[in-house]
Amino acid sequence: MAFNGPTDDAFPWPSQEDKFTVSHLQKGFKISARKLPISKSGPIDEMSKKLGIPVPEMIFGNNMVSIEHVATRWRLEFNAFDALDQVDKTDKNMLKVAYSKEWSSSSREKTHEGIKEVVKPFDWSYSTNYKGTIMNGKPFEDSEEPIPLELLKRPDPILFFEEVLLYESELDDNGISLFSCKLRVMPDRMLLLCRLFMRLDKVLVRIRDTRIYVDFNTGKVIREYTEKEDEFDKVRKSLLSSGTLPNDITIALRDPNQLAHLLPEVAHTTEALNLP
Amino acid sequence: MSDLDRYKLHPANFPELKLRMNYKRRAIAQLRACRPIPEAQVRELCHKARELLIEEGNVVTVTAPVTICGDIHGQFHDLMELFRVGGDVPDTNYLFMGDFVDRGFYSLESFLLLLCLKVRYPDRMTLIRGNHESRQITTVYGFYDECLRKYGSANVWRYCCEVFDYLALGAIVLGASTSLGESKGLMPEKSSSTQPDDEGIEIELLNHTGGVPSGPSAKWRPFESSTKTSSSPAAKTGPPGTAASGYSRGSVGNTSGAVLCVHGGLSPLIDGIDKIRLLDRKQEVPHDGAMCDLLWSDPDEIDGWGLSPRGAGFLFGADIVKVFNHANDLSMIARAHQLVMEGFKEMFDNSIVTVWSAPNYCYRCGNIAAILELSEDGSGESMLARSNGEVNRSDGGVMKPSDRVLLAGPARRYRVFQAAPQDSRGMPAKKPVADYFL
Repeated sequence: MAFNGPTDDAFPWPSQEDKFTVSHLQKGFKISARKLPISKSGPIDEMSKKLGIPVPEMIFGNNMVSIEHVATRWRLEFNAFDALDQVDKTDKNMLKVAYSKEWSSSSREKTHEGIKEVVKPFDWSYSTNYKGTIMNGKPFEDSEEPIPLELLKRPDPILFFEEVLLYESELDDNGISLFSCKLRVMPDRMLLLCRLFMRLDKVLVRIRDTRIYVDFNTGKVIREYTEKEDEFDKVRKSLLSSGTLPNDITIALRDPNQLAHLLPEVAHTTEALNLP
Repeated sequence: MSDLDRYKLHPANFPELKLRMNYKRRAIAQLRACRPIPEAQVRELCHKARELLIEEGNVVTVTAPVTICGDIHGQFHDLMELFRVGGDVPDTNYLFMGDFVDRGFYSLESFLLLLCLKVRYPDRMTLIRGNHESRQITTVYGFYDECLRKYGSANVWRYCCEVFDYLALGAIVLGASTSLGESKGLMPEKSSSTQPDDEGIEIELLNHTGGVPSGPSAKWRPFESSTKTSSSPAAKTGPPGTAASGYSRGSVGNTSGAVLCVHGGLSPLIDGIDKIRLLDRKQEVPHDGAMCDLLWSDPDEIDGWGLSPRGAGFLFGADIVKVFNHANDLSMIARAHQLVMEGFKEMFDNSIVTVWSAPNYCYRCGNIAAILELSEDGSGESMLARSNGEVNRSDGGVMKPSDRVLLAGPARRYRVFQAAPQDSRGMPAKKPVADYFL
């Protein structure tokens, strides 16, 4: 996955937020993206305190993407804080790393102190079900109308393209949890994809996609949310049986684009709203 | 070095040595240019490195001055930047705390260069093992694939993994000064902004032209936030009967004490440095036990020991560090393993520091990196610390407690630096590639 932008060059400072925001105006809609380095210790501690959970080690707290309808000020934003606020903060959805069983039985017994307490239980895989934050204006309503994929498959010129990382965790070298947005703006429509890709090695692969489709001519906004997941071993087998060479398996397991079509869907919702 | 010494040591006077040095020098030169060396040379290099490392104990003793570095993760061009900022080998004495490989694009060149320097200057280069120096982790996080891609076979990966098994688990730095000397003019032309701290801490900010970064960075004080957060656990007391209950600032760190360097942190199975020395380290990193903990555990704002919510791995609190440092006559623990935006982060009243040396981690985090310089104790009293690791040792009566400066940890200079400029990487800057994703 290619990440780009100012972080490759000089070291920018968060106070210069505006300088690192790029925007594009298209038929009454303003689409913006801000890319800055990971947050510093101070803001990280603050954020962690507010959220009540430790934040991922790569936290792009100053990044965001937004879609704004200029006339009505309706604005939808995607940011890391709100996404992390949707992470389960209890022990209800806690996953365990693959070697947890053998680790806990032997490691705990060997220590005479009998360390039992799990520190701050929460969904440390950071599997959020975040679909964006409506900062201003009317909410989405349930809808039956899907995103018109055929219209998006047309090779219309892409006028504006951005990819913004919101957070990433290496899960202590047990896999990856990556939450990022990308968007493309064409003359008459746009698509934003906000994706959570979570792979817990030898346990689970999970993809949660939020797609925002905007038709600039009708002012219609569609939001589709999909959850897909499967056991790690099953995904491995699916890759092998779909022709991936054994040597390419680890590379494929790092690429959500190669995995998305192999995972069964577990949840799906469609919503829409109309802007005048 | 006098002219006579220089003449005596000149390779021309030792034909055999000359041949060997030429070979190593060539390999170093080639690796410095970020070009892999042939498989046969890797094999020989790894063989030599193993012979050297097998002689080292689990805990290597290093004498200050020394420059301590954290994770590198295959970011070769940033490693070159590190050497530019910290000084070249052998002029600077280096200690790398592991995680040389994985994630970055040049794990192979980075690790082999460090190994080459180790073989050529064994006393000026200390390498300890990180959790990524393992077969299992490198198969998942890139090093294996990189070797396969660059050599067409897994042989080189195998040679390197054999070296990993021999890397020391920790190092102990003796003779570190409690006061900062003059910043050595490694780069005479450089202008730098130093911020001497009243606690003997100094931070040097360097950008990639060697100058001071412009903008708000000049006034940048990384401690402003971290001191605030680390002061709260200080109010807590440790378990009864431990040295942590009601400690004063003076007992936090022993100024004459040593600095322990490990990749991850402490283990509930290890209460003294001698216990580390007893481990059988020549193996793949196990999934549990003391060796695993040293490479994997993390400090956290908790009391005592805790289990990671992930279901494996330990977390340890301020009281654990303080008791350990006190019992082992340490002034500080230096570790790596965790990314910090500022390049380094001191915790628990400066009793432990995380050093991170991979700037713009994974080529996208935009963080800065740091190296930690411990200078030499000019007074010669550093010899006292030799008995380190002995529990209940006396301080020889030379230094009375009242004479001790109430200073937490040794004098330390952090040099922070940014990622190497894009054009030095020999690859074009990544432009956003618009794709018709659905």
